[in-house]
Amino acid sequence: MSSDQDLVVQTVREILAGHEPAQLTPDRRWDAALWTDLADAGLTGVGLPEEAGGSGGELADAVAVVATLAAGAGAVPVAEQLLVAGPAVLAAGLDLPPVDQPLSVAVDGAVRFADGRVTGTTTAVAWAGVVHHLAVVAAGPDGDVLALVDVSGLGSTDAANLAGEPRGSYVLEGLPAQVGPLPADLRARYALARAVQLSAAAETVLAWTVQYAGERVQFGRPLAKFQGIQMQLAQMAGEVTAVSALVDAAVQRLERGEPLELAAAAAKVRAGAAVDVVARLAHQVHGAIGFTQEHRLHHLTKRMWSWRDEAGNETTWARVLGAAVAGADPWPVLTGLV
Amino acid sequence: MPSTLTLAPAPPSAAAEQVRLEVREFLAKELAAGSFETHVDTWLSGVDPAFSRKLGEQGWLGMTWPARYGGHERTAMERYAVTEELLAAGAPVAAHWIADRQSGPNLLRYGTEAQRREILPRIAAGECFFVIGMSEPDSGSDLASIRTRAVRNGDGDWVVNGAKVWTSNAHHSHYAITLVRTAPVDTANRHAGMTQLLVDLSLPGITINPIRILDGGHHFNEVVFEDVVVPGDMQLGEEGAGWHQVTAELAFERSGPERFLSTFPLVAEFARRASSPAELATLGRLSARLLSLRQLSLRIAAALDRGELPDIPAALVKDVGTTFEADVVEAIREVVDVPASLDSPDPLGRALAEAQLHQPGYTLRGGTNEILRGIVARGLGLR
Repeated sequence: MSSDQDLVVQTVREILAGHEPAQLTPDRRWDAALWTDLADAGLTGVGLPEEAGGSGGELADAVAVVATLAAGAGAVPVAEQLLVAGPAVLAAGLDLPPVDQPLSVAVDGAVRFADGRVTGTTTAVAWAGVVHHLAVVAAGPDGDVLALVDVSGLGSTDAANLAGEPRGSYVLEGLPAQVGPLPADLRARYALARAVQLSAAAETVLAWTVQYAGERVQFGRPLAKFQGIQMQLAQMAGEVTAVSALVDAAVQRLERGEPLELAAAAAKVRAGAAVDVVARLAHQVHGAIGFTQEHRLHHLTKRMWSWRDEAGNETTWARVLGAAVAGADPWPVLTGLV
Repeated sequence: MPSTLTLAPAPPSAAAEQVRLEVREFLAKELAAGSFETHVDTWLSGVDPAFSRKLGEQGWLGMTWPARYGGHERTAMERYAVTEELLAAGAPVAAHWIADRQSGPNLLRYGTEAQRREILPRIAAGECFFVIGMSEPDSGSDLASIRTRAVRNGDGDWVVNGAKVWTSNAHHSHYAITLVRTAPVDTANRHAGMTQLLVDLSLPGITINPIRILDGGHHFNEVVFEDVVVPGDMQLGEEGAGWHQVTAELAFERSGPERFLSTFPLVAEFARRASSPAELATLGRLSARLLSLRQLSLRIAAALDRGELPDIPAALVKDVGTTFEADVVEAIREVVDVPASLDSPDPLGRALAEAQLHQPGYTLRGGTNEILRGIVARGLGLR
């Protein structure tokens, strides 16, 4: 990590320190105050070019912001804005909405575009009801397009993921839209964004679990001194390290502008596959207190259980990856991927 | 993550990608010419001295060593690419594997000039093979409990008595780097008093007894030492520094792609026919795990190029990697209905059989996964 990213991480951590994660509910869908602080610091435009209204900086800076917020369970649409919707809007040649107004992406559902308007239902929208703008995949007369719509006045359903993050639906009834060509790597970017979040969350869960095992005393010794616990923590560390290495490699591929889909697929599959081991062992080591809302652990484990399903789960992306690897000579395919 | 466990990403290496393609082309020609058949776990079972010599002629052994010792002064990243290609193809690399991977580097670090000049060029030529003399009948994971002893005689030579086990391919090898106790056990410091000796396996008093593994293959041996006189100038490194040297050797032993690619020929056979959604999903999941291990293993190669000896990350990668290569069998079985049999008319059935019968070894050899997790736990600051 460069010194630029260290500074970004430090700034985000300082802001996060003033915003304890809270249980999200339909009445408190997100952390609006955290968003305002981030926006005031220019962090909701990191990695998006200044000439388009962003804050500038590299993709790696944006990834650092997203990872740090994920590790802190920040309830804000920053991953969607910085890594998925923002770059997609620009790639489609559309005008980036002001970066202090939250922007998300909608890839699921059935939406049509015709005559400057979008119509249909879009489902499982991250931060539905919170965001001002939405980049929507829509079927146009000549194939799929990316449509940018203002949803600030539009109601959405209250559906949420396991952590309470809004994942509702919008019914779009002839909403005016700007459209551009659908960026080919949109879904891959979305998957990679979730993988970045999963990696950061898993790393933090490991750190919390190591810390807890060092503090909690039973039978006259800290849990960390029991060999059985050490084996579990080492297994978690193996998963976390493997995920992080592959996610880093996929991000670097994106930085270099190389084809992303299969690297992102691999990162999302690997990150998703680690969730069960990491979350399960973390809860096992934390014992009953980790099973309550009084302890911080659930903020991350519930997000991990959800993020692995979102933007395509392991099965979906494994089929994509498997289809590319299948054939007479899989090895050159694999060595060319990341 | 504690910095003891993580390593920086490996920088891209054009030289490594170039040599990768050269090895790939070489292997395609050798396969077409029938010089070898693909098998699972060939770095244990694929002994073919002629093939090893060919690799030596290509300059693919002793790659990172100085030219004055017959090496080729290439990077660890280049060596990584070569070893990965050989393993993925299931090529017969067992004869030279230990010598090239760890014995040579051990000699480079701790050997005398005479030892290096005598032995390293022969390893690099694919003509001199080594076995690991660490485990004993009563000393497995608890390596410090070894009882093979060496005492000095009046001529300054070492007289060795004891036995080493799991010495892979000792019956095809020339030397064993043998860890022996040269001072009585100090209960306050069990790791003191051990020394490594460079033992010529043709010396009088050495008996090599086969130990067959599950598929009947003869790779393992028991090597018995009865009053074997090892010349004093064949001591490797310092007297009493054996434990320290073994730790360094294990960092090489644990760091490479053979810790996740032993069963790759099975994955490749499966990939050739994977077509249903369930098969493709399984192939994709296995591929994602493999790709994450490649990234970790590449980072270790890059760390070796920086002159580091990343023993804790290597333990972590070996734990995760060998778990993966062992899981491959079950993952594939879940989606195909092909009985595992060494006599199967179906190459997938044969690959499943080979991988299954070798499976218990993956998570044992080179340090059990329990030992490795203990090392990782130390890296996490738990012990």
